[in-house]
Amino acid sequence: MQSPSSDVNQRTNPGLGRISLTTYGSGAVFTELSSTYPLKLLSPRITGHVATVYMLTYGGGLVGGDHISLSVDVDATAILVLLSQGSTKVFKTRLGQRRAVPTTRPTPAVTDNIASSNHALTTMQNLTFSVAAEGALFMLPQPVTCFRSASYTQMQTFYLSRNASLVLLDWLTSGRVSMGEEWAFSRYYSANEVWVEGRRIAKDVMLLDDLQVDTGAQLAPRTLRDRLSPYSCYAMVILCGPLVQGTIHHLGGQYDQISVFKTRAPAGLIWSLSHMPSGGGAIVRVAGKETESVKKWLGQALVGLQETIGIDVYQQAFQ
Amino acid sequence: MSKLNTAEKTTTALRECKGEAQRCARIGARDPVAGVVCLPASPIELTAMDDDHETYISLLLSDSNLPTGSFVASSGLESYFKHGFASTSDSTTISFVQDSLATYAHTALPFVSDAHRVVAKLNATSGEHPEGVTEVDDGQDKTLIDLTALDELYETMTLNHVARRASKSQGVALLTLYSKGFSRPPSLSTESGSNACDQSARMSILLDKFKLMVRKEDTHGHLPICWGALTAALGLSLERSQYLHLFLHARSLLSASVRLNNIGPYGAQQCLMHAVRPLVAGESARCKNLRTGLLEDSESNFDETLHGPANTWPLGEILAARHDLQHSRIFNS
Repeated sequence: MQSPSSDVNQRTNPGLGRISLTTYGSGAVFTELSSTYPLKLLSPRITGHVATVYMLTYGGGLVGGDHISLSVDVDATAILVLLSQGSTKVFKTRLGQRRAVPTTRPTPAVTDNIASSNHALTTMQNLTFSVAAEGALFMLPQPVTCFRSASYTQMQTFYLSRNASLVLLDWLTSGRVSMGEEWAFSRYYSANEVWVEGRRIAKDVMLLDDLQVDTGAQLAPRTLRDRLSPYSCYAMVILCGPLVQGTIHHLGGQYDQISVFKTRAPAGLIWSLSHMPSGGGAIVRVAGKETESVKKWLGQALVGLQETIGIDVYQQAFQ
Repeated sequence: MSKLNTAEKTTTALRECKGEAQRCARIGARDPVAGVVCLPASPIELTAMDDDHETYISLLLSDSNLPTGSFVASSGLESYFKHGFASTSDSTTISFVQDSLATYAHTALPFVSDAHRVVAKLNATSGEHPEGVTEVDDGQDKTLIDLTALDELYETMTLNHVARRASKSQGVALLTLYSKGFSRPPSLSTESGSNACDQSARMSILLDKFKLMVRKEDTHGHLPICWGALTAALGLSLERSQYLHLFLHARSLLSASVRLNNIGPYGAQQCLMHAVRPLVAGESARCKNLRTGLLEDSESNFDETLHGPANTWPLGEILAARHDLQHSRIFNS
């Protein structure tokens, strides 16, 4: 369902996407759904007020210098579920063209306007969302996997009206474990900002890089792997708005039941829940030794969302 | 603090009673306490005096007996041991100090720096209008607005209820420390009109107002903001303020480790002597130019992905938030 965009637009603004969802009668309708290479947006289904969009990239990943910029509007009472297919792979930063340049590609992805910037070879995703009253956004992508030496920057900003709901899942894996790559990327930066009625209620910024300080002769510097092991998958979920109060309440109850006794070795999975200082939202963090165990945990923890988005879409997200 | 301005005024005072002031300046160079009262005359003496003043303030602030509440904070260390991380390597305390210090420097130092900057700016300009009360008040209001904005941003970026709680209680303790412990007692009051006294009085008013806002819950009073404001009010340079803040974080982790019986008191001292110094120096060098982004004007080339605050240790975040889940615990965070 990708709408055609002009050739000129593709050449000058690669990686642009736009989604605008409204409701008409008893169902959700896209007033806009467009994207330019290497971003691809697909909507396989609309069920009632719930529309699902897959965010894909050509070649199944992003390379150094790729800039993705997506802006999304969700109208009152509409519900958008944003998914991705397979983990978002971020390939090694490299000069020049994309690794898999399709024949239709008019220009290399590394364009002049960004080449001058000092982190032109970083892969960037800039996503902006606005959700109107009674609307909802469920952002349930697969985790980001940064390959060896990759550099990735992701900035997501959410502007919510009062009574809008948001589920934001942001997670990453340690890398291509099958290739022996564990926490071997060079930089990962992810910022999530949530505004409700013009007031910033949460800003979560995570930076993982292998820049080490000089610790003198006595101490070995701490690598990313030292800092993050034994876990190889980290997830963060922000929940806010009326549609997720049940889930927050349920999880909060489970969390308060936990009683930690001294253990000899770290557990296979740990999680935490903090209520936000204002706005009735919550933030959940999970770390697990395997990506699959984290996915399974998330699938159980957020199961209450099924009521809103339907069991089929839910299973797509956590299958 | 505006050194030149202070020096100018002192020079005028010096002409009036030259012999007395020179004697004071000489004493001041050796005795930092006297330095607060008697300002030096020449730029060379001024530097020496400033240095002495700063060293003395640093000594006072690094006293582990200061009632700042750090005694009950372990910043996640207790939870880290409880969750079994002590068994994964030999030198766990120092590993924790490394990771915790790195993430704390990257999240808190931008706020320390910006809070220090706004208060230091007011501290420097306030001397220029000794009788222009309105202008001083205006500056103070602007400073309070900036501090509150920084405080609010820190609150929204600290998405861990345990860390938020610890930061607020230590922040407000610092403000109390300033008003009760660093204000000049009436018995030691000097001649009114002395520049140093005026400035110190203005800073007291500012920090008291900020403390009142915290009490009224108009703002949060987070530790990095209060630390930046306090050290600027006391005339500590930005660099020393940053360095000392990180040192105190590391030292309080080591004393927490001693209380948790993970290392002995001599071992902790050895760590401080040999391991902590390069860590503190390295992290403050790495993070000294980070900003929050709130005070940047349109001309600055601030890029928050490179120069902004960020959490660098997600594991520490989870463990710190799980502090309250421990079946038994001796710390508050």
